[in-house]
Amino acid sequence: MPIRRLFALTSVAFLVVLAISPAKNALRSYRAYQRRFAVLAASRARSAQQARDFEKRPVAIHQIWLPQLDNRVDRCTTCHLGVADAVMKGAPPPFAAHPWTPHTPVRIDRYGCTSCHAGEGPATTESQAHGTAKDAGPPLLPVAYIEAGCGRCHSTATVPAAPLLSRGRAVMDRYGCFACHGARGREAYRSGAPPLSSEPVKTGAVWLRRWLTKPRDVDPNSTMPNFQLGEREIEELANYVLGQDVPEDLARAVRAAGDEPAGDAANGKKLFSESRCISCHTVEGKGQGSAPELSKVASAATRGWLLAYVRDPHAFNPLTPMPQYHFSEADSRDVVAYMEDEFRDFDAPKDILEPLRVNRTLAEAGEKTFRKYGCFSCHGSPGGRTAEKFGPDLDGIGDKKAAFLDFGRRTDLPRTLTAWLAAKVDSPRSFAKGLKMPAYGFNPEETQAVVTALLAFGSQPVPESYRVLPTASPIAIPAGRVGHLVDRYRCLSCHQIGDRGGDISTAPLTFEGSKVQRSWLVDYLVLSYSIRPILTERMPIFHMPREEATELADAIETLFVDPRVPEDPFQGRPASDVDPAEGERLYTALGCRSCHILGSAGGYYGPPLTDSGTRLRPGWTFAWLKGPQRWRADVRCPDYGLTDRDALRLTAYLATLHQPPAAAKGGK
Amino acid sequence: MTTLSLDSVFRRLRDTDAWRSVVRHGTASTNRNRSLVVFENLFLHVHPVKVREKTLRFTHTYWLGGIALACALILVATGVLLMFYYHPSVPQAYRDMKELEFVVDNGLFLRNMHRWAAHLMVFATFLHMMRVFFHRAYRPPRQFNWVVGVVLLCVTLLLSYTGYLLPWDQLAFWGVSVGTNMAKEAPLVGEKARFLLLGGNIVSENALLRFYVLHCVVLPVALLLMLSVHIWRVRKDGGVQGPPEAPRGKEEVR
Repeated sequence: MPIRRLFALTSVAFLVVLAISPAKNALRSYRAYQRRFAVLAASRARSAQQARDFEKRPVAIHQIWLPQLDNRVDRCTTCHLGVADAVMKGAPPPFAAHPWTPHTPVRIDRYGCTSCHAGEGPATTESQAHGTAKDAGPPLLPVAYIEAGCGRCHSTATVPAAPLLSRGRAVMDRYGCFACHGARGREAYRSGAPPLSSEPVKTGAVWLRRWLTKPRDVDPNSTMPNFQLGEREIEELANYVLGQDVPEDLARAVRAAGDEPAGDAANGKKLFSESRCISCHTVEGKGQGSAPELSKVASAATRGWLLAYVRDPHAFNPLTPMPQYHFSEADSRDVVAYMEDEFRDFDAPKDILEPLRVNRTLAEAGEKTFRKYGCFSCHGSPGGRTAEKFGPDLDGIGDKKAAFLDFGRRTDLPRTLTAWLAAKVDSPRSFAKGLKMPAYGFNPEETQAVVTALLAFGSQPVPESYRVLPTASPIAIPAGRVGHLVDRYRCLSCHQIGDRGGDISTAPLTFEGSKVQRSWLVDYLVLSYSIRPILTERMPIFHMPREEATELADAIETLFVDPRVPEDPFQGRPASDVDPAEGERLYTALGCRSCHILGSAGGYYGPPLTDSGTRLRPGWTFAWLKGPQRWRADVRCPDYGLTDRDALRLTAYLATLHQPPAAAKGGK
Repeated sequence: MTTLSLDSVFRRLRDTDAWRSVVRHGTASTNRNRSLVVFENLFLHVHPVKVREKTLRFTHTYWLGGIALACALILVATGVLLMFYYHPSVPQAYRDMKELEFVVDNGLFLRNMHRWAAHLMVFATFLHMMRVFFHRAYRPPRQFNWVVGVVLLCVTLLLSYTGYLLPWDQLAFWGVSVGTNMAKEAPLVGEKARFLLLGGNIVSENALLRFYVLHCVVLPVALLLMLSVHIWRVRKDGGVQGPPEAPRGKEEVR
């Protein structure tokens, strides 16, 4: 009967179809991986017992469950079976042991895999887990950007084990990304770019046109990006900027300074070098480079403006990192005279600083252009900075799906978030016509660093227990006179206090009060000298009056102290009672002289110890000797593991070293 | 050794007390007895006692109602299994969908069965209705069953639609956004209907929960109830072959 035969046939076909799914289930790829792993691991095992354990491991799905971290489930270890096994070091993928990081493989149970590597944690097939399948979840993060994972939890500016991320964050800060783009935790960001109100008395139209065309060509240290402006836009902007009203006090200061007689360039040269300008600026590329190149500055700014600015930079730009030196009227004239003589662009046209005859129509159009490109985000505007950010917020950019991104004309790019971000950072205008983000001209390494920092902006904040926040600095800088002095001399531009401050100096001030003796500090502030001869960036001579120095030293001694440093390690005895002779023997035996100068001999990596009895507090020397890395993680001074007794003797020896201050000091 | 034929084994089985406690009719394989077994059984009584072989021919009904019924049964079976793995909550729903693929044994097969059976059921139900229409099988005495059938079609479509949201993926989210916005355009009750469906003004976890309850409890119960009536009515109205046709007028002979 045909209907019965049909029924029989379809029944058989149905059974076959039903068998397909269990068969596929039994042949899933992770099972094969686990069998291969058992063989490989057994062959690498260190003992017969270990080999047997590897062989006996049942085939199963492995997972790391992180209930604290969004209930994450990572099953990567189902195939990557050797991540935490020392015997699998150097094994072929996917079985290799994970390279050491501060969190892996030791605490892999707390951090899982996808918190750094992204990808689809719960998946058990390669294409789904790595995000290569068409319907897969988030793709794996390329290893080049892996430090973005650190940044999800660590919101401090520098993350010790993540140099690329730290670099990216520093670059983003320096180039003012957060002036236009909002981000959680960066609400207080302010660009250090100068307000433009004094521009009409500072420079001329020719210079400004050059600057607007390509800021980096004028000053290689410039952080201002290239807005790729058209000639007309440049003309409009020049008219707008140079047509502004200069605040009366600034205009008067510049005019008065311009009328002063010329100074003594020879003395100016000496002052220029004493003031250590190149600790921040460069001269023909030599110097630290966070501040403008000075070799052509006299062709960029009028003499009056330069002089007024050197005398009081904070009046022109309240956010500048430049300290206000305590130059006398004559001294500042001399410094500017030196700059006028030497730092000139000899190829520049004569009229480079000629004032512009402002065209009102162009100036009005210029105001629109100024707003159109968001110039006010960094430079402010007569109406003040706007509360609303010019660009889109960056929160969640690290979790954007590639499908949601506008690739526009960039058909050459792979459709991934990382490729999009790298292209956006590298050439922002290449995606479509009419985009406004300017080109920063980053080199490939900077681009990689910035993309890493960007990828760290997740859409969801990580749970509290995983977050590493910048520690609220326990050291407050007092208001009033001392605060004013710290601000005037811009201590924080170079030094760190707590976790605030710049990275130009290698000497944080956080525990300076426990470290140096007050009398030495006062002398040093009045007339500083180079402590570590190997460093190019040195403490400037501010010509600080002695009262100010005393005040600062008092504040430092009171406030910037660390309880780990003993007040008096000798417990009332004089240093000479603690066997300094044995200390001297230790000094020689430990080879301290290879880095430190003492007397006429020694290496110049570390600070000279010739006057250590005058400079350092014995408590500090003792605490330092007990473990230099406790005070600065990256310091090269070895931890010899000295006993208290030996450390004390060495401290006593160093405390007896005094040199007449006059001989120790360089400079004058 | 005595040879045991299959027949004798069955006969003995039917004589056991346990069997007789369930099927209360004798072993005699008479037509009467067979009819009685069907009459007295809750599950079989909706079925006609006698089926003519002619009506089982494929071309007679294209088996469309049967296919829809089979789909419904598959959907209930796979649906119950899926419910073991699914949480109707926002952080969990999509993840559970993925878990079916990643770790549940035959999970993807289970889900695909449910999905394809659902598609097929909608398709078969439509065709079934068209077949009934073009065969003029909606005429008295089956006019009531036609109405029941229309209700069943609506329930089927609603089941299909409410199931659409449950994976909680982009397709689901926007599908339901569009669908409920269409409901909003209905005159007078539109706004209220949308609010009632979503349990709020946006597609959120309330909507997910509502659609889940509708999909897994309210609508299936309605379906099974109406389905029983529908099949029972088929039998009452003369089975798939229908009542004997009265002699037709001229136009109908043509």
